[in-house]
Amino acid sequence: MNQRLVDFFKRYDFSFIGSMSAIFLVGILNLYSATHSQAHEGLDSLYKSQLMWFFISAVVAICISFLNPKTFERFSYVGYVLTLFLVFLVMLMGKVGMGAQRWLVLGPIRMQPSEFMKMGLVLAMARFFTKVNPEVELGFKELILPGIIVMVPAVMVILQPDLGTGMLLLFIFSMMIFYKRLKWKTIATLGVISVLSGVLMYNFGLREYQRKRIHTFIDPYQDARGSGYNAIQSEIAIGSGRLFGKGFKNSSQASLNYLPENHTDFVFAIFNEEHGFFGSVFLIILYLVFFMRLIWLATSVQRFYDSVLVVGIMSIFFWHAFINMAMVSGLLPIVGIPLPLMSYGGSSMLTFGVGVGMATSISNTRNFFN
Amino acid sequence: MFGEEELVKIHKDRATLLSYIITAAFGLVLSRLWYLQVYKGETLHNYSIQNRLRKEVVWAPRGLIFSRDDQLIVDNIPRFDVILTPQFLINKDETLVKLSKILSMDSEAIKAILKKNSNQAKYRPIIIKKNVTFKELAQIETQNADLPGISVNTFISREYRDKEIGAHLLGYISEVSQTQLPKLRERDKMDYRLGDFIGQFGIEEQLDKYLRGQNGLEFVEVDARGRRKRYINTDNLFKGIEAEKPLSGMNVKLTIDRDMQIAAYNAMEGKVGGIIAIDIASGEVLTMISRPSFDPSQFSRGLTPEYWRSLITNKEHPLRDRNIQEHFSPGSTFKALTGIAAFEEGEIDENTEVNCTGKWMFGRRAYHCWKKEGHGATNLVKAIRESCNVYFQKAANRMPIDALAKYAKAFGLGGRTGISLPREVAGLIPTSEWKKKRYGQEWQPGETLSCAIGQSYVLASTIQLATAYAAIANGGKIYRPFVVKDVYDTNGELVKTYTPELLSSIQMKNPKTLKFIREGLFQVVNSPKGTAWYRRGQGILMAGKTGTAQVKGASADKVHQKCELMDYESRHHALFVGFAPADNPKIAAAAIVEHGCHGSSAATPIVEAVITKYMQKYHPEIYLQNLEKDKTIKDNWIKSLRAAPAKPAVGDE
Repeated sequence: MNQRLVDFFKRYDFSFIGSMSAIFLVGILNLYSATHSQAHEGLDSLYKSQLMWFFISAVVAICISFLNPKTFERFSYVGYVLTLFLVFLVMLMGKVGMGAQRWLVLGPIRMQPSEFMKMGLVLAMARFFTKVNPEVELGFKELILPGIIVMVPAVMVILQPDLGTGMLLLFIFSMMIFYKRLKWKTIATLGVISVLSGVLMYNFGLREYQRKRIHTFIDPYQDARGSGYNAIQSEIAIGSGRLFGKGFKNSSQASLNYLPENHTDFVFAIFNEEHGFFGSVFLIILYLVFFMRLIWLATSVQRFYDSVLVVGIMSIFFWHAFINMAMVSGLLPIVGIPLPLMSYGGSSMLTFGVGVGMATSISNTRNFFN
Repeated sequence: MFGEEELVKIHKDRATLLSYIITAAFGLVLSRLWYLQVYKGETLHNYSIQNRLRKEVVWAPRGLIFSRDDQLIVDNIPRFDVILTPQFLINKDETLVKLSKILSMDSEAIKAILKKNSNQAKYRPIIIKKNVTFKELAQIETQNADLPGISVNTFISREYRDKEIGAHLLGYISEVSQTQLPKLRERDKMDYRLGDFIGQFGIEEQLDKYLRGQNGLEFVEVDARGRRKRYINTDNLFKGIEAEKPLSGMNVKLTIDRDMQIAAYNAMEGKVGGIIAIDIASGEVLTMISRPSFDPSQFSRGLTPEYWRSLITNKEHPLRDRNIQEHFSPGSTFKALTGIAAFEEGEIDENTEVNCTGKWMFGRRAYHCWKKEGHGATNLVKAIRESCNVYFQKAANRMPIDALAKYAKAFGLGGRTGISLPREVAGLIPTSEWKKKRYGQEWQPGETLSCAIGQSYVLASTIQLATAYAAIANGGKIYRPFVVKDVYDTNGELVKTYTPELLSSIQMKNPKTLKFIREGLFQVVNSPKGTAWYRRGQGILMAGKTGTAQVKGASADKVHQKCELMDYESRHHALFVGFAPADNPKIAAAAIVEHGCHGSSAATPIVEAVITKYMQKYHPEIYLQNLEKDKTIKDNWIKSLRAAPAKPAVGDE
């Protein structure tokens, strides 16, 4: 009996749940620090509900880790259609939040289906690429069907309008097709096309506030008290942390409420202000460990579906982390993309739990066969 | 074909590339962080210390409201509340004793307030004293260091100078509620926010888009605790950023006269009802008062539960406007319109006589006149003067109800006057078609008899009655009543001006109609036999009609019961509608007093007080001339009394 238990735990690769918990620990402390002084807005107890979401997500992750990866494969398209349906529902009857329809309210639960859509897309892609000519290098012809699978949800999300998440779907998709050996020639052509369509999009497809964000990105000081305000304050917060930071709970930018949304999109700025450059190095290494471990897993599984799925899961979290850090530090325009495990938000946390659960399940199966 | 494991293997090169890409991406982020935190670290650190600018909303002052003669009616006044934040309170007893001395309050009383609010979060400020004086304010500011946790909250309060006077007309402002928010955004296409104050009633609601300004933005420098600093450090990153100044709301000038409002309000002391007065040559509303009333200032400060309870538990409903939002049976004031209809239709002329015996058997039902012994031989002028029911019932019986309705509607009854104030009621003038639609029954001739004297289905508001009588006075012109004269911007430039709007001009078939109706109305007040003779006032030469509307259908045995002996709830409503001066009319007014019993004793004095104020203020010469005319009338009466002591009309209808 005892031996069986030991065997069971031996199968477990705790690196995923371990690095997830480590980042979460940093995240929850940072969230507490960012919001502790905002009692007047009722934000000071946010960390409690974040904790609750973490435990829910951890339980979900563990439950999913017991499933056989073949189950994911079987239900890949179902998951895709289901999440797509939820995104469609939001378009029909979503609540207006921050001027955009992103939330779906079911009784006491408010969810953001575009979060789940990412997972649905990854599942569908993994399934498609393993079933249809898995050995072939991708060219334009092979991209038509996958293109449709990604464009339908991407366009719907962009129409919500949530340009950030819509672009994210495309980024995740591009990372997956890159892994699925997209021809270098096609990559070059696609690069040219996306630059061109970007220019067209800017001129004809963007809303005024979205265009303004790009202007602000290029020169935040041009509109320092309007839309550039966040960008400047964020940079001040980061820079003022210097090498070692101001210390836990000592962020003046946060406590003075300079940074709006400092519990969601701008948590990374607060972290930098309090823990400085060395703190950020530590945090980024934690993220890197997590991503590298996932890539390693993708190359050491027996089944191709598992491999593509793990790359997909990895790219979801990579793009979130990278875009968020880049926008907060002024490398990218400000779009509403949360930092996984650090930003406050239940839906995002749950997606993370599902992803980690799947990765663990795949890793367990691998160990079982070894 | 490849096996699964081979498939994974041939993709390994791409996986390796991916790991390079990811490392490079984070390397990019780290180099940016190095640039910000190390290369520019000192500079940005200094900014974060110096630059404590915070974006704050500057509330735009709401526009002011003036009366027609430029007297300020609604103002914005800064008010100061002393607040205590328990979180920062040190040496509780000592501090509270000091505070109690400054505010001349008992320190136990302060403790009681704290105790009452002890269940809320410690960082929430508690109001200790509202509306402190400048002296108290100065003491608190100077002793700031000795009073930890005590501060002063400044805000702009909407002040209605005359409190309850004209509250229904002016309305009030209050915070946008959560449920209103989406509707307002949809309606005005404006970005309302919680905490915004908007007009919710009366003029404040109707002219909200002018009165409400545009909020500004301000950058305030704050200390580490987030409190405002007294000096502004200009040497910071945000140099060159200018605050966005708030745009004050526009000022509004009403057609209302403040002095007449006060006169009307005082004349209605202890009464429940409304009075409205309009300029007959333009439709400008000069006075609009409804009592009981409420203090609109209370709403802009956030209603106390006690005040709100006192308003909604009051049986007389102080929030209800009696002039445009309620309608009543007009009673005998409607007889003038019955007279006009019958005269115009040729059913009567000035010489037509009816013998009133005190009651009239129509079919099997007896229709009573208010005067038990009857009026005897009665012509039109006498019928109006003495308010004979039988005369008008017999006149109305000669025509179909639809003919009567046609004239009543032409004079503005039975439909909204179109005054630019929210929630006006329409009143009701029944027609045979209406009855069929509403009850599915044919019109009964007996119902015409009740309608002829303003009972049964007929309903009218005071603003409709005033408009109708203004038309009688000015020869048939119906103007849309209005309350706003001009809108000015803060520089005093005229933005919008409202001009009289002639809705219709009634063409009278018979040129004598209005002449005899007016003569009758004149005698109501100025003939010793008129129903309002004893309340005629001085120097206004008023013409008008009293009215008494039964609240409940009176059974035959109660027709002549003394009204004052009945339960308050079943007492008649009292009305008076009139215009003045009778020979050169300028103003028309209508008043209702709920359960006031007699039009003459309850309602006439209110109209008289308002018109007297008007004549004294706007037409003093005519007022003096009319005082003389009044004197002549009175002297003639006394002479006639000496010659043959006639029995004066005692009763009122």
